Amino acid sequence: MSHARITRRRLLGAMGAAGALAVLPSCKGRNNQPGGGAGGRIKIGLVVPQSGVYAPLGTDMKHAWELWLERHGGKLGTFEVTTVIADEGESPQTGVPAIQKLLQSDQVDAIVGVVSSAVALGAASLVAEAKKLLVIANAGAADITGAKRSPYVWRTSFTNAQIASVMGKHLAGQADIGPVYLIAPDYAAGAEVIRGFKSTFEAGGGKIAGEARPPLGKTQDYQPFLTGIQSSGARAAFCFFAGAEAVAFVKQYEQFGLSKQIALYGSGFLTEGSVLPAQGDAAIGIQTVLHYSTELDNPANKAFAAAWQARFNTQPAVYAVQMWDTASVLDRALGSTTALDGDHLFKALGSVGTIGDSPRGPWSFDNQSPRQRMYLRKVEKRGTAYVNAVVADLGETAPVT
Amino acid sequence: MSSSRARVVMIAGLVALAVAPLVIDDYAATILARVLVFALFAASLDLLVGITGLPSLGHGAYFGAGAYAAGWVAIHVTTSAPATLLAAAAVSALVALVAGSVAVRARGVFFLMLTLALGEIAEQLAQSWHSVTGGSDGLYGIPASRVLGVALTEVRWFTWYVLAVFIAGMAIIRTIVASPLGATLRGIRDNEPRMRALGYRTYHYKLAVFVIAGAIAGVAGALLAAQQRVVTPADLGFAGSVPVLVAVIVGGEATSWGPCVGAAIVVVVRDVLGPSLGGHSSLVLGSVFVAVVFLLPGGLARRRGSR
Amino acid sequence: MPAWFDNHLISLLNGLAIGSLLFILAVGLSLIFGMMDVLNLAHGVLFLAGAYAAWWVAGESPSWPGFLAALAVAGAVGALAGIGLSLMVERLRHRSHLAQAQLTLGLTLIAADILSVVFGNDVHTINPPPGLDGSVMLLGKAYPVYRLALIGLGALLASAVHLIVERTSLGALIRATVADRQMVAAVGVDARKVKAAVFAVGALLATVAGVLGAPVYGARPGLDGTVLLLALVVVVIGGLGSVRGAVVGALVIGEIDTLGRSLLSDLASFVLFGALAVVLILRPRGLFGAASGART
Repeated sequence: MSHARITRRRLLGAMGAAGALAVLPSCKGRNNQPGGGAGGRIKIGLVVPQSGVYAPLGTDMKHAWELWLERHGGKLGTFEVTTVIADEGESPQTGVPAIQKLLQSDQVDAIVGVVSSAVALGAASLVAEAKKLLVIANAGAADITGAKRSPYVWRTSFTNAQIASVMGKHLAGQADIGPVYLIAPDYAAGAEVIRGFKSTFEAGGGKIAGEARPPLGKTQDYQPFLTGIQSSGARAAFCFFAGAEAVAFVKQYEQFGLSKQIALYGSGFLTEGSVLPAQGDAAIGIQTVLHYSTELDNPANKAFAAAWQARFNTQPAVYAVQMWDTASVLDRALGSTTALDGDHLFKALGSVGTIGDSPRGPWSFDNQSPRQRMYLRKVEKRGTAYVNAVVADLGETAPVT
Repeated sequence: MSSSRARVVMIAGLVALAVAPLVIDDYAATILARVLVFALFAASLDLLVGITGLPSLGHGAYFGAGAYAAGWVAIHVTTSAPATLLAAAAVSALVALVAGSVAVRARGVFFLMLTLALGEIAEQLAQSWHSVTGGSDGLYGIPASRVLGVALTEVRWFTWYVLAVFIAGMAIIRTIVASPLGATLRGIRDNEPRMRALGYRTYHYKLAVFVIAGAIAGVAGALLAAQQRVVTPADLGFAGSVPVLVAVIVGGEATSWGPCVGAAIVVVVRDVLGPSLGGHSSLVLGSVFVAVVFLLPGGLARRRGSR
Repeated sequence: MPAWFDNHLISLLNGLAIGSLLFILAVGLSLIFGMMDVLNLAHGVLFLAGAYAAWWVAGESPSWPGFLAALAVAGAVGALAGIGLSLMVERLRHRSHLAQAQLTLGLTLIAADILSVVFGNDVHTINPPPGLDGSVMLLGKAYPVYRLALIGLGALLASAVHLIVERTSLGALIRATVADRQMVAAVGVDARKVKAAVFAVGALLATVAGVLGAPVYGARPGLDGTVLLLALVVVVIGGLGSVRGAVVGALVIGEIDTLGRSLLSDLASFVLFGALAVVLILRPRGLFGAASGART
């Protein structure tokens, strides 16, 4: 036993010493110096998921940020950029400490990124109190930039209902659409999507055949829901899935024979990014609405997609474009300001006007979230690759709550 | 270590903690607060795991219930800190009573699985009841707590508030452990059939400690809600219950400060190092578990005699 | 009425298929946990390793040789992992379930991270081998052939395991080791070798299940946690200590989950753990739980 006691004491002593060493640098008192300003440097915190189910999105976002800086001399405006990456993880349990670390330990000037709406909503109070700018590059919950928004929280992505409402309007305008079945996972984003779709679809005279909300993250087998769709008399289905659930749902939609009988429509994430090659032939013919496609025919996108292909040997997805645009608007904002505190930054952001050189087409901020064009896309097979071909430009939409 | 020396060490430790917010910077104070909250949570679980022999894999449900209650009261009723703490303790005690009444009938691994199931159900309830809990987006925008009319937006004052509640909670736990109730619980842990033969109604004792542990966990949850300003369903289920059980095991079950040490390790690895580990925090955490289980059986803190 | 009945007939059949898949993925844990009384939380990551093996060896659209090769590779990896696990767990044999949980959880975290570094974080799909990758018409609706194959496979596996455990001398040896280690040692059998063998088989079953389940579940980070929870629910509901319990547990969960989701759509999220809670409340040792054997 004495041997074990010595080992334990030594280990505890070593840990105590390590802990003290870790704390010592923090004993420098409480001076929150604002970064940059005088030397033309800015420190930006990049919050993206590097582990867990959203990790592929995080990788895309990180790549887009790095690519933008590489192609612009490592500068935003006239400021040289130092990026500090923090792992958002899967939920506020990890996301909030990551943002707290960026704000308090790394003392960044601004934070960009954030995939999860829960993290974005949770972080809003933190950045507002710290008076630092937060630019959300993915999360889609309406409340992030809703009526009670903070002036410090901006977004370059979308709102869940914005995309769905455009699809609703489009389908309502199709003469032979028939009753539509709605299916989305049982969580806040799913509810916002369904609400957004119904608001424009029913207003346009469309009929809803039924609704289903599979449990989020717990559903690998969709048969009960697919059978429900078949027996509801629906002639089309509109869904909202992303990631692994998008892959499982699309594949099973085909396996259970629905793809030939009931046309499938979706919010663009259904077939975006790495899920499309995983879905394979089962995805052919699915029509989705999104504010981006790799096939968009504008000069900015051609250049962007080519640069992405050359650098990463793959095609970009909407997550990358949103982050690219984040860098782009910050570049514009920092070109017109000299102070780096949150108040100056958000005022500068408010005056950037229309962003005309984005791969997604022209867009502008409307109540701190993008007012942008939506595209109708259809999955096609070209050789051995699958793409979201652009079928129609459905016009500009404001953020929808 | 003799008990008077232990007492001196403890007092020195408390003094150091009380002085710390004056000398360390904001970030270290935030981390200290997080550690104290998690340590109280872990100590409450040790009442179940170490003292009574009830390995619970669903303790996050009561922590989360308390967090939601405190957050809801802060948003809709009052930000007065005592009110939020009381609401948290009451709600989590109630949830623990309902859950515990069925859970403590089971033993060992079945108790483990049943508490896991109840925790998952609680998480799902939090996600579905979005009118009250905000659903999967969480309960966000929780305002800062007020003590004696002063809003605790300054990190220093908030950390002192957490320290005060932590000390109070630990005092309650230590008192229980040292009391005849504690002895009864240890007896149930070591040999329940014998206790029953001696005439103890073990079900009632187990339920009582389950509710007490749940209430203290709820108070810790209230502190989390005040610090983090957001509560999500993930805090209640598997993801909220595994780290705290790990903290208890790694730190040392049934020791006085083992769960606190374990909590510090989990918080440092997950919240301080985690964001910078490029997504590999599970590798680090896993290695710590494996190392501790082989090198330090019984956990980091030494088990003292018959504790 | 006929349409209602048809739909639910398909769901009943699907519940059987899902239940068979659940048995296939849980039987390894039932052996290790139920017979050896080791809380093996690494079960999920073994399954995931098998699924990645399927993708890596056989590719997205496997041929039969590819699929069988994947099964062999997964089996080998599983057996080796099982022996390794057994050696590590042997050192903890005098300690509680929680120590085993800590060890296997730690190993899971390490292995899951390594898998995500090696295979990336994207979702990978694997199609069934040729002949099993289409759908047949049942009651006028398409149903994937592979799921029907899973029913057959599950039945085959259950019979094989039952026969081995109940009818062979190896099985008798296993049951004897569980019941009375010292006696078995006195008879001259090295109990550690028996345990290592059972571990190897249990882990092998987990990785092979990963290959067999890949056409339904795919391979992706996070799948290990999902599968572990499912396997634990099945094994505990069925009652530790018997493979028959695992069969019944799997079928019960498969049916309850599928029918629950189609009949009780609003409560679909609560079905799985609600069922577990109800069973454990009414029968605290599971449906077929034996009072002997497993240390609680």
